Amino acid sequence: MSRAALVLSGDLPWPPSVDDFYLPDLFGGNSPWFTKFTLMVWLAVAAIIIFFLVAYRNPKMVPSKAQWIAESIYGFNREGVAREMIGHEGLRFGPYLTTLFCFIAVTNVFAILPLFQISPNSHIAFPAMLAVFTYVLYIYQGIAKHGFGKFIKQSLIPPDVPWWLIPLLMLIEFAQTFLLRPFTLALRLFANMFAGHIVLLVFTLGGFALLNASALWAPVSLLSWVLTVALTFLEALICMLQAYVFVLLTGSYLQTSLAEEH
Amino acid sequence: MAGDQPPKPPQSSGANDGWTMVGYLISGILVFGGIGWLVDRGLHANGIPIAVGAIIGAILSIYLVFKRYGST
Repeated sequence: MSRAALVLSGDLPWPPSVDDFYLPDLFGGNSPWFTKFTLMVWLAVAAIIIFFLVAYRNPKMVPSKAQWIAESIYGFNREGVAREMIGHEGLRFGPYLTTLFCFIAVTNVFAILPLFQISPNSHIAFPAMLAVFTYVLYIYQGIAKHGFGKFIKQSLIPPDVPWWLIPLLMLIEFAQTFLLRPFTLALRLFANMFAGHIVLLVFTLGGFALLNASALWAPVSLLSWVLTVALTFLEALICMLQAYVFVLLTGSYLQTSLAEEH
Repeated sequence: MAGDQPPKPPQSSGANDGWTMVGYLISGILVFGGIGWLVDRGLHANGIPIAVGAIIGAILSIYLVFKRYGST
């Protein structure tokens, strides 16, 4: 039974809970090996690959619309993030940042796409994996550039501080660079998508709940649905913003790994 | 191509740093708050070491942000 039918029949899955994020197997299996999330991730990857292949199949000096969009996305990540945050040296991260941005943006947008309406990133596993990529990358880049000892020293010991403060600050630097960064990176994306889905559920199902409660509440349920539409637009904004922030922070972490000592 | 455009001078806008500074503030409070918590477990001092630790951590991390991102 679809959710709307379920709701109208009075069998309200109310209030929304964490269980709403554990989707059943698409083929009716007992263990969720192939859920809507799996499908969405594959679809997102396919969509991104096909879009960029089509856009660049026949590149012209005066770009077609698709080519222009593709170039804008790549230019935005390459110039706007890689070059601005890391400098000229960062241009080689343009492809990684663009891939990251596209993947997060497309998977986020599933949160508001009709029929999907939930983002894979509302499961901690997906943001966590993306954060692991970034974590490994910026540590690897730092070690590759400075060597292990110098990289550790540079990331743990802040410049010109009194010697007796260094042990205390080292603790903070260590927690920040090696423990908390991947966590905050993953959690920020996860929490935004999770909360966004919950909020949309509350307002959509809340409308039905009010309607079922009594006829007097009907106008309020209408208001609830109007707000659902407004919040969907807000969610669209958040989807893009979170993809940008993730890429921005990746750029910033790479920058601190590659920075020369000053 | 984007590379055909005239190169922009590299400039780091303050807004970008803001996202990373929050991380420092959180980790400072967490680390020293955590140390305070351990001390509190040993001393049974009604959680006062946690508060002291968190405040010390906040002060240290603000100092650290000044050192890392402050004007040179």
